[in-house]
Amino acid sequence: MANIAVQRIKREFKEVVKSEEVAECHIQVELVNDSFTELKGQIAGPPDTPYEGATFNLEIKIPETYPFNPPKVKFLTAIWHPNISSVTGAICLDILKDQWAAAMTLRTVLLSLQALLAAAEPDDPQDAVVAKQYKENHPIFLKTARHWANIYAGGTIREDDYDNRVIQLKNMGFDPHKARVALSTHNWNVERAMEHILNY
Amino acid sequence: MSATASNQSTGAEGGASGSSEDAHQDSGEYECNICLDTAKDAVVSMCGHLFCWPCLHQWLETRPNRQTCPVCKAGISRDKVIPLYGRNNTSREDPRDKAPPRPQGQRSEPENNGAFPGFNFGDGGFQMSFGIGAFPFGFFASNFNMGDTRPPAPGPETPQAAEEQFLSKVFLYVAMLFIFWLLIA
Repeated sequence: MANIAVQRIKREFKEVVKSEEVAECHIQVELVNDSFTELKGQIAGPPDTPYEGATFNLEIKIPETYPFNPPKVKFLTAIWHPNISSVTGAICLDILKDQWAAAMTLRTVLLSLQALLAAAEPDDPQDAVVAKQYKENHPIFLKTARHWANIYAGGTIREDDYDNRVIQLKNMGFDPHKARVALSTHNWNVERAMEHILNY
Repeated sequence: MSATASNQSTGAEGGASGSSEDAHQDSGEYECNICLDTAKDAVVSMCGHLFCWPCLHQWLETRPNRQTCPVCKAGISRDKVIPLYGRNNTSREDPRDKAPPRPQGQRSEPENNGAFPGFNFGDGGFQMSFGIGAFPFGFFASNFNMGDTRPPAPGPETPQAAEEQFLSKVFLYVAMLFIFWLLIA
């Protein structure tokens, strides 16, 4: 890898580790390998959002042309958010694409992702199903996002009725994750979720 | 009493951490915004952001169509950055000889006296005067015929056609004379 990329990541790594956001457990970065090409990030769900209290893991890949091109970031933790794919974890965020600037750092990227969790852009979605629910059934979206955060990311608020519906499908022999995806997609209508699973 | 003591101690701590922070900021003040190292061959953008010229050059090369400041996204270009020369610059070589070359300092010239460079007859030489010679023709051609729907060309054997041919020859000779005059003038 180009020398400038390694130098940058080393410096940024120190910067993030020293930063006050780490001290307050808001963001964190870990090395995955010794070559500084791949890192693991972690962000806390921002307060007053359905993601409050949850922790999300991110895969960060540093391209050889860094910092002239953005790092490749995706969510490893499943999340229900209009701008993040509930299937792949791919992120739709302009600064990770054409709005990247070379003075941005791992720290600013992680803080931007945290801000994205607090302020979704449903008109520029990555996950169309989630975005539709966000716009048309916002209370259900909030509950679904909280439920996913509770199940996959250690969020503290349980959504008992959603838990029960997943268990209901699980007891019928369906995979709980598939059941949760189907239920979330169909606004927690059990019959339509079952049809969905059986048809796909 | 104990409360005042603790206050004093926190005050002293605050002061100490403040000064160390200042020292840290001093070292960070001249870091390139791209490589985060002390800027080499430093240039500064019009928006005031400091870069190594090689770093900024690579950034501008990466996206030639959308050249923005890596820090504040203001418009930026190769011609609009200013090199910084410190006094104790030990290397005597011209930094512009290095690849990629750093852009030159900008010295804005005093106001130009002539509005249109073609009017400088004195130092223009042949090409200049030729440009002026051609200018009225272009002017006539583009302006005096504009919007006129030309009448259909007359038939070949009519006296009108002969007259037009004669006229066009006359104009050709006049034009050639004019160009010849320009050449020898």
